[in-house]
Amino acid sequence: MKHLNAKQKNILMNIVAVIVACIFLFPLYWIVVNSFKLDNEIFAAVPTFWPQQFTLKAYQEQLGSLSVTLKNSVIIAIGSMALALCLSVPAAYGLARYKVRGMKIFVLVFLITQMLPASLVLTPLFLIFSKLGILNSYFAPILSTATISIPFVVLMLRPGFLNMPKELEDAAKIDGCNAFSAFFKIALPICKPTVITAACFSFVFAWNDLAYSMTFNVKEAMRPMTSAIYTFMNQYGTKWNSIMAYGVLLILPSCFIFVTMQKHIVEGMTSGSVKG
Amino acid sequence: MGANKMDRKEQMLGYLFIVPAVVYMLIFIGYPIVYNWIVSFQDVTALTLGSDTRDFLGFANYKAIFADVTFRKALLHTFVYTVGCLVIQFSLGFLFAMFFAKKFTFSKPIRGFIVISWMLPVTVTALVFKFMFAEGNGIINAILLGLHIIDQPIGWLLNGNTAMLGLIIANSWVGIPFNMLLLTTGLNDISTDIYEAASIDGATGWQKFVRITVPLLKPTIMSVLVLGFVLTFKVFDLVYVMTGGGPVDATEVLSTYSYKLSFQLFHFGEGAAVANILFICLFLVALIYLKTISRDEMM
Repeated sequence: MKHLNAKQKNILMNIVAVIVACIFLFPLYWIVVNSFKLDNEIFAAVPTFWPQQFTLKAYQEQLGSLSVTLKNSVIIAIGSMALALCLSVPAAYGLARYKVRGMKIFVLVFLITQMLPASLVLTPLFLIFSKLGILNSYFAPILSTATISIPFVVLMLRPGFLNMPKELEDAAKIDGCNAFSAFFKIALPICKPTVITAACFSFVFAWNDLAYSMTFNVKEAMRPMTSAIYTFMNQYGTKWNSIMAYGVLLILPSCFIFVTMQKHIVEGMTSGSVKG
Repeated sequence: MGANKMDRKEQMLGYLFIVPAVVYMLIFIGYPIVYNWIVSFQDVTALTLGSDTRDFLGFANYKAIFADVTFRKALLHTFVYTVGCLVIQFSLGFLFAMFFAKKFTFSKPIRGFIVISWMLPVTVTALVFKFMFAEGNGIINAILLGLHIIDQPIGWLLNGNTAMLGLIIANSWVGIPFNMLLLTTGLNDISTDIYEAASIDGATGWQKFVRITVPLLKPTIMSVLVLGFVLTFKVFDLVYVMTGGGPVDATEVLSTYSYKLSFQLFHFGEGAAVANILFICLFLVALIYLKTISRDEMM
């Protein structure tokens, strides 16, 4: 590479980067392309890289079950997002703005709970929810998936609130704002982009969940899309065009959110998953 | 006196903001974990599920699982899987981070775009990899056959050893961008002055990597590895959807085995005991993690 000038080197690097990205993102392409194929093309021994006959049949076949599962997924994801934000945004603010006793322990609670997997609490939560009689309802997946987002959002938002100039709120308080209106009228608007990113993350976490929903909501009418697609695979294991069509619908929210606010997502992911 | 009162008021306000979220996590994660320990010492099956008086079994559930061959295999598989994933996702993630740290026109947007694999539902990731690894019409066999690397299609997920490899590859697809991003943050913190000074002194690229990049990145590397361990060790969705722990029990891991015991065999006590073993492993590693980050910068 020594004999290349800076411009040539730049072009070469870009080409290598595009090739790497294309190979890396191939599975994503494979989901989309196969959802537009007909059965006989899917079952052919030699896979085609582009559909010979472009069709929406795989999507049309799913419309019947989709009306129920899509509704369930949306209700669970929005419910979980709302619950998680109501609890975690104020907590992140409080941990950044107030010097409370036991602060270290509170941060530790979020750091630790964020690392604990669903499989650890599936059995006890199932027993608890069964006693409360909320299995096969929206409550079970909403209450449980919110535990994924809350610690993540707290850790993700705290640095933003810490970096905000305190003078703004102090001035507002002198003008007669109380602590809560300082939070709602000053802090929230300033940190709006990160709060929106946090909302997206908590929506996607709940939308992507399989373990909780599958375990707590066994009834078909209460299943979200993730557990429906899993059941579908067990029944029609090789109808990959239908499975991939379902897959496309499932990845749509994360892809949309990702494309529209990539920069914030990438930043949030780093701060939310590491430390406060 | 007045200052003290102000201080008390501030404390109260702070708690009002913080405590609801903390209480929520203690109810829905803290209490279940404690409850899980209680259940693991009890006789909880489909029959005793609803009753309030369950027999206390002592360590019987733990004795049962440690005598169980599948459990011991699952414990081993979990470690094999975790170490395999860490090796692949860390080395490739590091390579990606180094590559995209070079300042060329589209380095940032392309790096950002790769991260999308981390945000996709694991269920879908598992399904597409299952499809790509399929024996008859899978794209991976088609490519390998086309390049004459293999001369017969391989049933990747139908054979114990290759099934584990398939899982490791699928998980690394999600893990690579995660490792890349965290390492990128670390790389950005290293001042370019140091590299320039080294260049003036005649250091080669490799020398700069070994003598500057790696030592200065050590805290980041530590937290990436420990965090990666915790996130990989707890795998559930991916294994459950891709192989279901099979063929037979060749890819059974702790989380899927715990799930099977509880929700397919209805031995809730044993399922809880397996989950607690998983918890102990995670807890030990998490302690190391908390120690490393509190030394760095955290609180």
